[in-house]
Amino acid sequence: MSERMRVRLWRLAILIVLVGSWEWLTGIKAVSRTPGLYWIDPFFVSRPSLIAKRFMHLASDQVRLSIWQMALSTVQSTLWGFAVGVSTGFAAGLVLGRNDRLARILEPYIIAFNSLPRIALVPLITMIFGFGLLAKVVLAWTIVFFIVFFNTFQGARSVDADLVHAARFLGGTDRQIMRTVIVPSALAWTFASLTPSISFALIGVVVGEFLGGESGGGLGYLIIQSLGTLNAADMMVALISLGVIGIVLALGIRQIEMRLLRWRPEYRKRS
Amino acid sequence: MRRARIVVRDLTKTFREDGREVAAVQGATFAVHEQEFVAIVGPSGCGKSTILNMIGGLIAPSSGVIEIDGAPLAGPAPPQVGYVFQKDTVFPWRTVTRNIALGLEYRGVPAAEVQRRVREAVELAGLTGFEEAFPATLSGGMRQRVALMRTLVVEPQILLMDEPFGALDTHTKINLHAELLALWETRHQTVVFVTHDLSEAITLADRIVVMTRRPGRVKLVHEVTLARPRDVIALRESEAYAHEYSALWHVLGEELAEPAR
Repeated sequence: MSERMRVRLWRLAILIVLVGSWEWLTGIKAVSRTPGLYWIDPFFVSRPSLIAKRFMHLASDQVRLSIWQMALSTVQSTLWGFAVGVSTGFAAGLVLGRNDRLARILEPYIIAFNSLPRIALVPLITMIFGFGLLAKVVLAWTIVFFIVFFNTFQGARSVDADLVHAARFLGGTDRQIMRTVIVPSALAWTFASLTPSISFALIGVVVGEFLGGESGGGLGYLIIQSLGTLNAADMMVALISLGVIGIVLALGIRQIEMRLLRWRPEYRKRS
Repeated sequence: MRRARIVVRDLTKTFREDGREVAAVQGATFAVHEQEFVAIVGPSGCGKSTILNMIGGLIAPSSGVIEIDGAPLAGPAPPQVGYVFQKDTVFPWRTVTRNIALGLEYRGVPAAEVQRRVREAVELAGLTGFEEAFPATLSGGMRQRVALMRTLVVEPQILLMDEPFGALDTHTKINLHAELLALWETRHQTVVFVTHDLSEAITLADRIVVMTRRPGRVKLVHEVTLARPRDVIALRESEAYAHEYSALWHVLGEELAEPAR
């Protein structure tokens, strides 16, 4: 058996044990014949069989807002927040990374804003941008922007001076050197921030959805709604869906990263 | 006498180090003429790279004058100057072809012409088959070939080389000497080649500027009388080479032997 297979089998085994004991333990009563008293109470943690049933229900067209619509809304907002955050963060990082004075002037403001817990902004952002997609995107943006900004900033500053000299001797103008040396060099750093960025974009969106109400839709809304009805099974459906979305998005970004950074030896070996 | 393309007069460079002024180069004076291959040798830390950096306009002299083609140098070097760095400066995100093409792209050379000249350069450097390879997959010698061809493809008349083969093993180094000399025989660029390797200097150069230990002064300018074109392998076995070597070794050895203060 190959090492790869063995690792996969172990993973599968762990999953089966976890789900199996979850199902089993939440079925044992603490005191016989006393209803509702469990060692592990499915009221709080639900049960896999129950979750599956709720999922089928939420995925059917018997509900007003299906799980698919909610997932789509969450993914859409995440990708928008990611795209806007990455592009603005990259541009700002590049400009400030190549302009020492501007960077020095703006430093305290950037640090101050970045130190602010972003969750504290949710009510304000909701007040300004309402309950829809826009508020969620803005919230994701405030997080992603800084991650990408700091990475690109570092990257733009640490461009090898000899590469710039070499380009100048080859006859490059400032603009040409920006395009052919500084941007690609900084991009390597930017790419390293993309995987955490997509995860944080998802966090921002879900937090936005907590407050967003039904018009914003999304899996965050399902969680809050389930809290209101004390429905652990629905909450688990939302959480598992978020987990799957998080993994798929991160893997997608990783693929793009590997493709774009294929000139780096550490990426080539793995692909 | 051929026309002087680079004139270095009374060149001095001091750096601040731990709060005090340290002279790296002191009053260096020499000239490099049209089509001449000049090597600068000296013990490490003698300021030979500093001199080259100043000629290339990468750092400003503390005092003294550098003239390139009669014009005093202030700021970046003029466009006829090419520079090959000691450190590996190929662009890691560009393939071999695109690395070599970069200077031509900068100059707005039409794509078809770029392609033709790059293909030629790839062939000349023996990089055929590696056109689309990224530098990370190449050996040190191949990367330095790319760096060399990238500089030569834009046809600089003056070539500044800062220990370009310093990091390579002897075998690769000798191969590259042969290739460099073959290329040089076709164009006769004016070359300033910095090295700490005396045999490299003798193999390549018409004249050798020997530097003293820090602070670097010009100790001696030596004329290499070996005939051209040179065969880098056969050369090393010749009596003339041995003669040049022992004469220079004696001079350079004095600098190496003196105890550090």
